[in-house]
Amino acid sequence: MNKNIIALLLAGGAGSRLNILARQRAKPAIPFGAIYRIIDFTMSNIANSNIDVVGVLTQYKPLSLMGHIDSGRPWDLCGRTRLVEILPPKTGEEISDWYKGTSDAVYQNLEFIEDFCPELVLVVSGDHIYNMNYNKLIAYHIKKKADATLCLIQVPIKDAHHFGIAEISEEGEIQKWTEKPKKPKSNLASMGIYIFSKESLIHVLNQVAKKGGVDFAKDVIPVMLNKNRVFGFNFSGYWRDVGTIDAYWNTNMDILKKESGLRIKDWQIKTNHFVKGKIGDDPSAYFSRSSKVSNSIIARGCIIEGHVQNSILSPGVKVHRNTAVSDSVVFHDTIIGSNVVINKCIIDKSVDIGNSVVIGVGKSIPNKIFPNHLSTGITLIGKKVSIASNINIGRNCIINPGVHLNKSKYESGTTY
Amino acid sequence: MNEVLALVLAGGRVDELLCLTEKRAKSALPVFGIYRIIDFVLSNLMHAGINNVGVLSQYRPHSLVRHIGTGEHWDFIGRKRGIRILPPYRGLKGSDWYKGTADAVYQNISYIEEFNTDHILIASGDHIYRMDYKPFIKYHIEKRADATICFTKLKTKSTRFGYGIIDKIGRLTGYLEKPTSPLSDWVSMTLYIFKKKFLIDILKKNAGASSREFGRDIIPNIISDRKTFAFKFKKYWAYARTIDSYYNTNMDFLTRKINLSAWQIRTNLFERCVHGDRMSASINGAVSNSVISKGCIIEGKVKNSILSPGVKVGCGAEVVDSIIFHDTKIELNAKLNKVICDKDSRIGKNVVIGNPGEKNPSAEFSNLLSSGITVLGRKTTVPNNTVIGANTVIYPSARITNQEIKPGSTIR
Repeated sequence: MNKNIIALLLAGGAGSRLNILARQRAKPAIPFGAIYRIIDFTMSNIANSNIDVVGVLTQYKPLSLMGHIDSGRPWDLCGRTRLVEILPPKTGEEISDWYKGTSDAVYQNLEFIEDFCPELVLVVSGDHIYNMNYNKLIAYHIKKKADATLCLIQVPIKDAHHFGIAEISEEGEIQKWTEKPKKPKSNLASMGIYIFSKESLIHVLNQVAKKGGVDFAKDVIPVMLNKNRVFGFNFSGYWRDVGTIDAYWNTNMDILKKESGLRIKDWQIKTNHFVKGKIGDDPSAYFSRSSKVSNSIIARGCIIEGHVQNSILSPGVKVHRNTAVSDSVVFHDTIIGSNVVINKCIIDKSVDIGNSVVIGVGKSIPNKIFPNHLSTGITLIGKKVSIASNINIGRNCIINPGVHLNKSKYESGTTY
Repeated sequence: MNEVLALVLAGGRVDELLCLTEKRAKSALPVFGIYRIIDFVLSNLMHAGINNVGVLSQYRPHSLVRHIGTGEHWDFIGRKRGIRILPPYRGLKGSDWYKGTADAVYQNISYIEEFNTDHILIASGDHIYRMDYKPFIKYHIEKRADATICFTKLKTKSTRFGYGIIDKIGRLTGYLEKPTSPLSDWVSMTLYIFKKKFLIDILKKNAGASSREFGRDIIPNIISDRKTFAFKFKKYWAYARTIDSYYNTNMDFLTRKINLSAWQIRTNLFERCVHGDRMSASINGAVSNSVISKGCIIEGKVKNSILSPGVKVGCGAEVVDSIIFHDTKIELNAKLNKVICDKDSRIGKNVVIGNPGEKNPSAEFSNLLSSGITVLGRKTTVPNNTVIGANTVIYPSARITNQEIKPGSTIR
């Protein structure tokens, strides 16, 4: 038990690069790996590190997230001394504002921190897929007598310009810090995991806020580097930021690869099984005589009559006869008709696909409206889309939530 | 439904299910992968809007207590709603085990009197069916009955049931428990609704008798008052009194006679997820006409079978016409045919179990085990290369030392 530390989980991000997946839900609430949501990984890491108090800072479309976290019980964060509290933006006598950035969100919740009088504050992001016992980080932070410790991971130097990059001394002290450098001098990237000694954090947040600073990476860390002991903690396990469609799809596919290092079962990831509004529980998945499934994850309530290959199916998906689903991620309760071909798609919840539909086949022309979101051939189908029979949809397409498709052809790169 | 309190009879021990009920009550027996048998009656009660339920349990209640938990899974939690396990207890003057279904209720009259309800619904916890109890309750109230008993028609004649004779207006005019030849087509589902005052009076009257069962002692004695009615239920109703009926009921799910999604059955989703949650099933083998639960890893072949959570079927292994409970590991090239295998077992490499054409019944349980089913108890370890014949029972944690076990054996 760690009574002297509390965790703050930043779950406010809009995740705009995830396009329609994040249109109606916060990025940490996006389904992942059939039955999980992205935030389950950070929540489980916190729970498995025996940290007992968690504040979840939400802002963007928090409803699905709040429903998912519920009382905190799925992660054992529920009891007299254990809790998880949702911390949305609020109006008060002095402060009344939306969170302007990561450090501003924490600054606006200093009262929450003071309520528990912790010695240390762990600040983590809710949109990464990884497994980490924070106790090693905590021990390191204490041993180094640091005021702040950042988790760092080695990234390929060509990708380093996406991250905050640190240069560290032999003892591990951070000497230089640049946010998204054009010419990175190191490949040690920040994972967005910080641990602060409470007094130093409160002091620096007050100071930064006065000058209008709102972000940990841009405003807080540079100030602390000058005055405080700031250390880097090297992490070398599996870690993915699933902030883009490509990263999201690849990380899902990593579940199907034994050698990828993504080992949900061993990581003891916990999720909330209760689905609001359902009257009964989903029975286990049923596979008919005509089914053929290889290298796939199939969740409860699925009924499989067709072929499924290299795919991840969330609860309640139906795949009818003579249908082939491959290299795809399909969310809850989507129904796929017969004689359908689906390749390399991400299909959101409760989509209704008719018979003899083809999705994700054809030339890979980048999406015309969002070429930087979709160019590798993945097609996105939004929540509650309905697709009539005999329709062809190409690659890199985006079908917006709730629309009804009845034209016979949607070329690659279309947004509808 | 404020006017009805429900009692679930979940106590009985049944030897006919052999080692499957050695360490658990029959109503706690796993079924269809993730459910336990008692989920059906609890879900029926929930959907009928019943607020309070007492579960009468005596035989090995541990797994049942854990499964029911706080009752939240069936919404039996709140200021006015609750579920209570009612075990036998010691009083000032004496203490006793439940001597029968009626005695179990008799010993809990003080629980019944806590509630301000006019009627008591009594259901058995070991039947598999989906029934809307509301018309049943309404019928009982409209007929101003002292007692109403639910009957159903069975395809196969059996002497295991109570049979009733029903007149034109629905009154029960004759009843016999386990008769040598059936009185009619209508068998009792051990589903009753009583006026509370009437029930308490009749139980007190019968309290001194040597036998204290509803079917044998109470029902035959109340029909002469002409205020006992019968309610006919005509949908799917199954039971698991024997290994054969348990097996066939499971297989009814594969022939889609049972639609669990439409029935809206609920279960305890937290059970056996102590450390992490179970992932969804990971499939890289051939699965045909089967149910595969969360956390299963399938690399071999599974056909006409039902797998509970966490079962592993290794490369080259074949599971056919079988029911495999939680966390059992079936290793490389093992072949299982018509096997019911309890939890946490390990079937070693190249093991062969079962033979569909087996004619020899079990030597010890010839009337219970003759249809070619093999039953493996909890935590059975079958060493590599072992061959086990059909109609065999292996009791929990028994040590298997022979490389070849003949058909019809019993191993303890």
